[in-house]
Amino acid sequence: MAKRPSAMDRFLEWTLNLDRRWIYLLVAVSVITPIVVPIGLPVTTTSSTRSAFEFVETLKPGDVAWLSFDYGPSSAPENDPMAEAFLRQCFLKKVRVVVIALYPLGGLGLANNVLAKITAEFPNLVYGEDYVNLGYKDGAAAVMRRLGDNIADAFPTDVNGRPIGEFPILRGIHDIKQVKVVFTAATGLIGEYWITQVHAQFGTPVIIGPTAVSAPKYYAFLNAGQLVGMLGGMKGAAEYEKLLRAKYPELDRFYGGTRLFTATKGMDGQTVLHTVILLLILLGNIAYLRSRARRRVTDVGGGRGPAGTRP
Amino acid sequence: MSFDFGRVALFIFFFVVPVIGIALGLRSPAMRSRIPIITAFIAGMIPILSLYIPKGFLSGPQGMSPRLDRWLIIVAGFALLLGIVNVVQNNSRRIARRDAGWAFSVVLLAGLLVTGSLGIWGAVSGEGIGFRADGSTTPFKWIEDRFFQPLQSTIFSLLAFFMASAAFRAFRARNTEATILLVAAGLVMAGRVPLFELLAAPFPALQPSAASVSLFLGGLTEWIMNIPNGAAQSGIIIGDALGAASMAIRVILGIERGYLGLGAGE
Repeated sequence: MAKRPSAMDRFLEWTLNLDRRWIYLLVAVSVITPIVVPIGLPVTTTSSTRSAFEFVETLKPGDVAWLSFDYGPSSAPENDPMAEAFLRQCFLKKVRVVVIALYPLGGLGLANNVLAKITAEFPNLVYGEDYVNLGYKDGAAAVMRRLGDNIADAFPTDVNGRPIGEFPILRGIHDIKQVKVVFTAATGLIGEYWITQVHAQFGTPVIIGPTAVSAPKYYAFLNAGQLVGMLGGMKGAAEYEKLLRAKYPELDRFYGGTRLFTATKGMDGQTVLHTVILLLILLGNIAYLRSRARRRVTDVGGGRGPAGTRP
Repeated sequence: MSFDFGRVALFIFFFVVPVIGIALGLRSPAMRSRIPIITAFIAGMIPILSLYIPKGFLSGPQGMSPRLDRWLIIVAGFALLLGIVNVVQNNSRRIARRDAGWAFSVVLLAGLLVTGSLGIWGAVSGEGIGFRADGSTTPFKWIEDRFFQPLQSTIFSLLAFFMASAAFRAFRARNTEATILLVAAGLVMAGRVPLFELLAAPFPALQPSAASVSLFLGGLTEWIMNIPNGAAQSGIIIGDALGAASMAIRVILGIERGYLGLGAGE
């Protein structure tokens, strides 16, 4: 008579055939709960984020930095906090910022929103002197090549159609070589173009803020010294926020509270979700290995073949 | 008046020659591929030569290569236009045939028409497509903020659910390679977040130990990302670049002709 499976075996068997809707429910609860009730988990910083932050710290008041919105709404929760943190740091240091968007699916809309949000926090900023929005241009790599020769060739006007010669911020800045740093918050290939088309050809230092999915690729550029620093996904953004808070305690009003969405707050959700997924993977593997072991025993017992072979 | 050799050469290469090519192509189908191949050869060679021959007509501010770069931005704009034409053609056809899901095509075309019209109106009227001078949003921006952005975010958010389900089902220690992948992925997932601090949250006494373990895992994750991952990515990127270069040479030399979309006998 066949041995009746134990309760543990039945549970593991149930796990192997778990309806995916239970997983979806678990994911939803894991993400929503920490957003509603923030946990405030600690964030540790990595060298790639620290080097990006420290490079921006070396800029002097009046220097010009370049911020490119190379992402769309799909990755905004990861990329928005990076762009916001970079803008806050620049404005606190009185570094002037030129903003552009090269991502066709909503890059400009996000640039407008982030600029409106951050410039409202610094009421003394003057458009055209402290920052300017040059808008969107199609053909990312081609635009970057033009920026190396003449910025006005690629962006003759700002986002509102005013000639860029009107803006004091761009006086004396003829091409991208005169910009102190390019920060690209990027999804997809455009971030890579800044390295290959701008840093490699014109030498302008580049900091990248890619989504977590595309971050692994950029370690190669980081190791080759072609990137000043990198903010990998939401974790990188949270690290940058931590460094920023430590250096500028006045930013606690943005990063200390729980009302605004920040990467630090988002990391709570990501941590809970990673934990849940890891536990699911662990459980799935225990169930799988146990089931495989049981099958081997059955196969040997039934005389259907040597252990380790499957019918 | 000085003779602008570069400008004249570009005019001949990219206007006179293609026009002759079209005329010849109308007479003989076999000629249809010749002129595009010659045009591609010239367009490909000019930027390469400009790097090696420091002559004003090639690489100067008004030289042939910078002019081609400027044209590239315009050509990229046409690619968007081509995409719109393609979307309209395909979806109009689906609606006319009453194919499955034709109602979605109606929504898509209506969205394209309304959003596109408002965008063009913003550009023509000088109002723009972002904020007005008084800080209020334009109709285009209103649609973008209330429809486009939430929809895009929703689609991408679904990935978290699919990835969790896929990870649960696919990440199994079936063989040695799968086990290595499983362990590396597990370490990186655990090392990127303060996982042990979360697990030790109900036990304050364990927090310092949890922090130490997290710090160690974080270091290990960085090592995995920097060394094995960085090395593999370098190889992939270099291989990718060599592949792109060889494909570019094939196109320039007319060996690769797939992009021409030629039919039989052409």
